[in-house]
Amino acid sequence: MSAGVITAVQAARRAARRARGRSPALYLRLALVAAWALLPALQPSYQLLDLALKVALFATLAASYDVVIGYTGIVSFGHAMFFGFGAYAVALAVGRLGAPTYGHLLLGVLAGVAVSGVVAVVIGVFSLRVKALFFAMITLAFAEFALILAVQWGALTGGEDGLSPRMPGVFAAGAAGPLGLPGRVVTYYALLTICLGLFLLMGRFVHSPLGRTLQAIRDNELRAEALGYRTFVFQLVASSFGSVVAAVLGGGYAVWVRYVNPESALGIPIMLDVLLMVIIGGIGTLEGGLVGAAVLLTARTLLPNLRGLGGSLVAGSEILQRLSERWLLYFGILFVLVVFFFPRGVLGTLREVAARRRGGAAPEA
Amino acid sequence: MRRAAPLLIGAGLLLPLAAIEPRAWLTLTVAGLAMGMLIFLVASGLTLIFGLMDVLNFAHGALFSWGAYAGFTVAVAVNARWGWAASPSVWANAGLLLLAVAGSVAAAFALGVLLERVIVRPVYGQHLFQILITLGATIVLEELIRVVWGPNDQVMPVPATFQGSWDVADVVVLRFPAIAIALGLAVYAAMQWLLTHTRVGLIVRAGVENTEMVQVMGHDIRRYFTAVFAAGSGLAGLGGLMWGMFSQAIRPSMGGEQLIFAFIVVIIGGLGSVTGSLVGALLVGLAYNYVAFLVPKAAIGVTMGIMVLVLLVRPTGLYGAGR
Amino acid sequence: MSDVLEVEDVHTDIGQHHILQGVSLRVRADAVTVLLGRNGAGKTTTMRTVMGVLPPRRGAVRFEGRAIHGRPPHAIARLGIGYVPEGQGIFATLTVEENLRVAMRAENAESRERMRRVLGLFPDLARFRGARAGTLSGGQKQMLAIGRALVNPIRLLLIDEPSKGLAPIVVEHLVTALEAMKRDTTVVLVEQNFAMASRLGDDCYVMDGGRTVYAGTMAALAADRVLKQKYLGV
Repeated sequence: MSAGVITAVQAARRAARRARGRSPALYLRLALVAAWALLPALQPSYQLLDLALKVALFATLAASYDVVIGYTGIVSFGHAMFFGFGAYAVALAVGRLGAPTYGHLLLGVLAGVAVSGVVAVVIGVFSLRVKALFFAMITLAFAEFALILAVQWGALTGGEDGLSPRMPGVFAAGAAGPLGLPGRVVTYYALLTICLGLFLLMGRFVHSPLGRTLQAIRDNELRAEALGYRTFVFQLVASSFGSVVAAVLGGGYAVWVRYVNPESALGIPIMLDVLLMVIIGGIGTLEGGLVGAAVLLTARTLLPNLRGLGGSLVAGSEILQRLSERWLLYFGILFVLVVFFFPRGVLGTLREVAARRRGGAAPEA
Repeated sequence: MRRAAPLLIGAGLLLPLAAIEPRAWLTLTVAGLAMGMLIFLVASGLTLIFGLMDVLNFAHGALFSWGAYAGFTVAVAVNARWGWAASPSVWANAGLLLLAVAGSVAAAFALGVLLERVIVRPVYGQHLFQILITLGATIVLEELIRVVWGPNDQVMPVPATFQGSWDVADVVVLRFPAIAIALGLAVYAAMQWLLTHTRVGLIVRAGVENTEMVQVMGHDIRRYFTAVFAAGSGLAGLGGLMWGMFSQAIRPSMGGEQLIFAFIVVIIGGLGSVTGSLVGALLVGLAYNYVAFLVPKAAIGVTMGIMVLVLLVRPTGLYGAGR
Repeated sequence: MSDVLEVEDVHTDIGQHHILQGVSLRVRADAVTVLLGRNGAGKTTTMRTVMGVLPPRRGAVRFEGRAIHGRPPHAIARLGIGYVPEGQGIFATLTVEENLRVAMRAENAESRERMRRVLGLFPDLARFRGARAGTLSGGQKQMLAIGRALVNPIRLLLIDEPSKGLAPIVVEHLVTALEAMKRDTTVVLVEQNFAMASRLGDDCYVMDGGRTVYAGTMAALAADRVLKQKYLGV
């Protein structure tokens, strides 16, 4: 790099960085972080705190999935599996190695990360070379297999009933933390910090030269190959990165919820949730996951109340009764409608509108 | 590959004889072939839909379920009216089966046409959205089953003479599986004939290789898409009904459960190849049954294992076009 | 006599890339019009736009006076346009005969008669009629590709780089076959092989950077060394 002379690309990057520093989006982000950080001070109910942290966890999970599906363009159904690996790893390390300590917790997280990384690489090596459709199917097969394994291998995983490990130290149920704060609040802050850290990490990842290469590959794989990039390696790195982040989040989930079973940690419902969150928020927007997670999880907490209401209105007919109970039906309809009419998701559409107003300048990806 | 297939199946059939005594082997083989045939029914449509239209059709499982439930409704109605299921007459039993088949195929076919027109066509060419939209459609369809028929398992009426088994030289051969095998072979033969001896089949085979070329030759590929999608859906529905009778029970999630087998078979057999899905399905069915007998917990793993093995050796599947 | 094909100021995009930025051609009846140009000039994209595979963003394409831009490929083909794409587009798993049959718009006595004539025109194809098309040699595949276009009654034939990848002696056979055909068919030939183009062509257009930059007769271009050097590096 010769002193004083900068290339056009470097100049563009500097300008983008400066713009980011001044943009209103930055203040919005800071405000959100502040909101989450200050929540415990408002003495919220148990449910509200739980909801807030779950939104944070799942927003980060959705963002990690967005890295794979939105930025790299790989459709994978294995993401929930990696989340599950992390959750189970932590649950096992803390629950099965004697009295739980922080060391065990760390061990669990590392183990979860390692397993996820290795599996992601193995699946990738097999399957990234084939058609996208094939890859999606293969990840689905692996995810189903992991699920069945978790259910069948009861000795290790507790089968369908799962594991309810005791967490170490301040993360344990009912523990008291420093400064007179309840353990739960300390756990909240610890996990929130992790989520934030991961979010920042992912942001750096997608805006780095590596990340931009991935987007180039997503947009036109042939061209990227022609330019000399070994697309396979890049895709492998990206999917492994996403999986590893998911594993860490899975561990965090285990610490917060203190209960891990196949259905809630490893199964299709989680996969569908994450998928829907990314779609609602917007593919390729990273922070879209936050919008998606907030919408979905809030709706789900409010839904039982609505369900009760709906049920009482149509007490007569059996079919109508069932119609009001089956929230999954509406989930599915919502899913289809969102994909049809808002393929770019909330954030994606907003960014597109903003970009058009700016007169066709490339939107911040 | 054409020459290797008989060898593969032969090996698959004969190897287990080393570990299983002949009579059990025969029963397992029949069960395995039957299971394979039922999976073939689902996988054959799926592979053609993939091969021709490049669509990852998650809704296929829902069509399987709907076919089963539609056939179930017909069977229950016919049995309630004329008692054809409980009847000892083969003709009555066959009649019931035929009507149930007609019901399931018709329902699945119609649903297939609807799905293709409304859900799949608008997102043609965008893989991610296809996957998402068919996934969403599946959820909706499965939930609708729960709304209409209730969320619990239902007992499927199986015609009396098709239940139980035949005693052939001291070997127990279950009747229904044998019928399923015969049906599967008939379907395979019909599909092959259609593909190789009709003009529609010719165009479909060409389209599996190159849809653009088919279009510039003057054929409206969209009509063929709808036809293949609908036919594949009908087959899935038939598979659902037969599976329902095979297991004597149906439940709303049955489609999703079997779909993963169908996917694995399509991966093993190769996209767009009906023969490939037959070979793959039989291998999977046999392997599953043999292993379930020997080491029950490993049964699911075996199907994954075969898939991984095939992917290592031939990433595009046994009969897949090298794409 | 109106032109068989008229391409008027066509702009076509592929994704975000503006490939064609103003292409205009007029194709005379019963003549061979050659489209020349370097790699990446946009010749194949022009052909695909005419066939309806790619929709033009701007401009018009008219066949025998009627607008065909924006219509789907199968409808355009049925108007009487045959297309032999770059790379031939042979169905490898189908037999030679099946390839010819798929190409027929409708399988009837007339098409079968034409197929017989095609097999007569290309004896190699007759010999391998039951063989899988994937096993044919490059030259034979090209013959098959052209033969497929001829099983229908067509008023315009579009051929894209038929000599690509073929040995000189095979190209020679190809030229002979095309010379036999050209007398009663209107042909648009995309070629990089200038020798072949100059033997067959009556009119010619040169493309560069997505635009038509020269229009004239083949004879004029062949005689003008300066032009040839400028546009084709020949």
